[in-house]
Amino acid sequence: MSSSERNDANANPSSELEENLEILRQTYFFSGLPLETLKIFAYLCTREKFKKNEYIFKQHEDDGRAFYLISGKASLERKDNGNAREIRDCKSGEFIGGLTLMGEIRRLFSLKATEDTICLVLEREKFSKTLQQFPDIMPRIFKAVAKHIDSWEERFLAGRGDMCGECMVNLGVSLI
Amino acid sequence: MKKADIPVVKRSLFSWVFPGNVKLQITLLFIIVVMVFARVVPLEMQKRVVNEAINLRDIDLLFLYCGIYLVAVIFFSGLKYLTNVLQTLITQRATANMRKELYHHILTLPLGFFRNTQPGSVVNSLVTELAMPGNFVGMAIAAPVTNLLTLLAFAGYLFWLNPLLAAVSFSIYPIVVFLVPVLQRGVNRANKRRVDAARTLSSRIAESISGIHEVHGNGAYGIENKKYDRLVDRLLKIRIVWSLYRFAVKTSNGFFISLGPFIVFMLGGYLTIKGQLELGALVAFLSAQERLYDPWKELIEFYQVYQDGHVTYQRTMEFFDVMPEHAIAPADRKPFDLEPNIDVKDLSFVTDSGIRLLDGINLSLNPGEHLALVGFSGSGKSTLALCIGQLYKYTGGHVLIGDKEVSDLTKKDMVNNMGFVAQSPVIFEGTIEDNLLYACKARADGNGQSEADLPSLDDVISVLQQTGIFVDVLRFGMNTILAHDENQELVEVIVRVRENFQRDFGKELADYVEFFDEDKYLYYSSVAENLIFGTPRKSAFEYSRLCNNPYFLKFMKQADLTRPLLSLGADLARQTVDILGNLPPDAVFFEQSPIEPDELDQLKLLVEKLKRRKLHELSAEHHQQLLDLALRFIPGVHKMVALPAFLENLILEGRALFREKISEDEPEAITSYQVSEYIYSQTILNNIFFGKTKTANPQAQEKINQSIIQLLIEEDLLETIIEIGMLYQVGAKGDKLSGGQQQKLAIARVFLKHPKILIMDEATSALDNKSQARIQNLLETRWKEKNTVISVVHRLDTIKNYDHVAVMKAGKILEIGTYDELMARKGMLYELVGKK
Repeated sequence: MSSSERNDANANPSSELEENLEILRQTYFFSGLPLETLKIFAYLCTREKFKKNEYIFKQHEDDGRAFYLISGKASLERKDNGNAREIRDCKSGEFIGGLTLMGEIRRLFSLKATEDTICLVLEREKFSKTLQQFPDIMPRIFKAVAKHIDSWEERFLAGRGDMCGECMVNLGVSLI
Repeated sequence: MKKADIPVVKRSLFSWVFPGNVKLQITLLFIIVVMVFARVVPLEMQKRVVNEAINLRDIDLLFLYCGIYLVAVIFFSGLKYLTNVLQTLITQRATANMRKELYHHILTLPLGFFRNTQPGSVVNSLVTELAMPGNFVGMAIAAPVTNLLTLLAFAGYLFWLNPLLAAVSFSIYPIVVFLVPVLQRGVNRANKRRVDAARTLSSRIAESISGIHEVHGNGAYGIENKKYDRLVDRLLKIRIVWSLYRFAVKTSNGFFISLGPFIVFMLGGYLTIKGQLELGALVAFLSAQERLYDPWKELIEFYQVYQDGHVTYQRTMEFFDVMPEHAIAPADRKPFDLEPNIDVKDLSFVTDSGIRLLDGINLSLNPGEHLALVGFSGSGKSTLALCIGQLYKYTGGHVLIGDKEVSDLTKKDMVNNMGFVAQSPVIFEGTIEDNLLYACKARADGNGQSEADLPSLDDVISVLQQTGIFVDVLRFGMNTILAHDENQELVEVIVRVRENFQRDFGKELADYVEFFDEDKYLYYSSVAENLIFGTPRKSAFEYSRLCNNPYFLKFMKQADLTRPLLSLGADLARQTVDILGNLPPDAVFFEQSPIEPDELDQLKLLVEKLKRRKLHELSAEHHQQLLDLALRFIPGVHKMVALPAFLENLILEGRALFREKISEDEPEAITSYQVSEYIYSQTILNNIFFGKTKTANPQAQEKINQSIIQLLIEEDLLETIIEIGMLYQVGAKGDKLSGGQQQKLAIARVFLKHPKILIMDEATSALDNKSQARIQNLLETRWKEKNTVISVVHRLDTIKNYDHVAVMKAGKILEIGTYDELMARKGMLYELVGKK
């Protein structure tokens, strides 16, 4: 391993793999994993370009892919009874869809590129086949996800909890 | 075939000795008898040479006896070889038969058995463990008969020579027979303790190594050393005792056997001196006695093989000693042609450990009615479907299909009338076509049907369309590389339409396709393709052979490419091994690498060499390997290494230089890429594009598919491409297909079979919305009122048009009725739909 690291440093210019590795190391979902497995995920990731107004994923579909926005911008939308609503903007640096890697989930939202966007993409199939080879990383990912959900709701309650109004009764996603 | 009344797991080890091998064993016995005789003759000749020829000084007699001696020895050696051949034949045939019969048995075992059994242990039993019992079967007749007969023959001969001397020298054997087993028991005891101690030692080592940071952190070297040393000392003592016993067995056996000649010398010498024994007889006696040792040793070895073989055989067979729950096919009638009405009465299913998975289930379906089973996971809906389909054997109540009790039906009855799509269907190695016809072929098998009764191409194509895998098969077809002179018609059409296609779709697809352009580097083509920029016409110029082609190697040197490509190859090798080194040979992991799974081990060796030596110190063979790797490098796909800008330029310059040189030296070796020529080294799709696709992005794929399908329909080529696509190899366990493709293929497989009763267990879970809706629609329009369908459903938006919806919870049906009835009742279904 040490030899390859030495090589990485000397390689010129840096490969996409190294860049992917850098990104994954800073993503909550992967950051707790040992370097060996992280490298495999970085290798299995692909990059995809989405043109302005193209959908990255669509509501109700199970595309089974997680995305990291490398560059560009996208908008998160939800359609209810035919009315589309814009939820928020997603900017470069965001990681979306960790849960879809863990199991079959149909999207509750659509994500549409509002600029030409480049994403790092990891497919569930690749993720789960790797997981089968390194079952000991499973608990680390569980921990990261559990903690992420919990701290999300904690932040939400601290910041906006009192603005919820009627929706108050539906709080508690961290209690699932 | 012999009667298979006794299941293979109940057969004794000895039962394999004769059946199937009778002729061989009898031949073997006959040869052995002759062989033993041939073994005794030299002894008698020995005696006669001394007593008669030498004593009478008769040269003729000497020649005669020596001649007979020689013939006997040659004859014996020939026979010995023959017995070995026969023995091997018997061993291998017995092992093969055991393997086949046990495998045939294992496949029929109930699903429950496999829940507690690792595939690895089945593999181990079939591949490794049956070898030893097979060995025994080969020896079972030959070894004891040969050695006992030899012993008896020698003994008889000795008694014939001199009864007194023989009796005295044989008196040793009872002592050996008594003593050796006693000592052997000591060996076994010590051996067991040795294994245990070694195991303790191993786990000690493993613990301290895995906790090495703790040892370092605490500086606890002393403590750990003490723990370890104590165990090593214990092992030392045990090993000494073990070795002492082993040598005792060997020595005592040897000692007593060597005592034989001593007795013969003493007594025989005395008798000869006294004139009561001829000198020749003494010589023969000594010689015969020495030869007693070999058969004796072989008998003891045979005893050990028997012990080992018996134990392994017993253990293996006991492990699989489970009976199938249902007969495979009816013995005395034709398989039933069942009416597809289903009645379930008071059905229950309790697992071996006493957990009640189904309880008091009642339902009834008329022929052609469709039932949706819904409920939370763990509610028993899959279990119910599997019980109706005879995959689980229910423990109480009744399931009647066409008024016949399912548990009394054979597998064949079920297979002829039922089709099944599992939750995670399995696709087997082979082509798409093999997998599509899997269910049809299995049904035809045993029904006396032939290939002609299998579905036609039109049937297959319509099922491909119904299940939505059509586009995938089309893509496999489009990604096929045609061989020269194959599908000439297709080739001509592609070349003809290429320009029109470029004009019509070129702009639209420009983002997804990298067109072949002589002045640009192709990031989605290999370095070799970039250099040659054409189709090899001579085998020496095929991409995979370039690294062995002296002309090309010389060219690379001239173009200053050798060094930088070697260095690129080394980088690729290191990175590839670093990433893929510990991964299994699954297509998913290797798609984005320049190597095939089976090349990984060789590459690892190369990387080991690279660690110890500089690039220029490697052998020519290793250089070739590295160049080969570099020539395969596709920067747009193999992302573990980046292509340096200077190398890109060098390769582009190299392309021009190569074209110049080759057109002078060997113009017929390469056909350059040109719009007017079919490119045989590229896929059909790339040929249409005159370029390569850059992305596997589903949306891009869809756009590409749309334009290509339009073209193929216009040119009437759709069917041809589908036929080619059906020959696509799906890889082991279908690993070259995505989860969705596997599921679609499994559905297509059962649609093609078109069974009277269809059971689908969350069969569309991995499909996109469109495919799911298409299949649901098809069931409602084409299957309703004809085929009975039971569908375990995970999505409630597909169940509105089912004849019955049953909502399950904790192994019971809580409510059953039409969708509208249940929604109006505002019970469980209403609640479930609301929650979703």
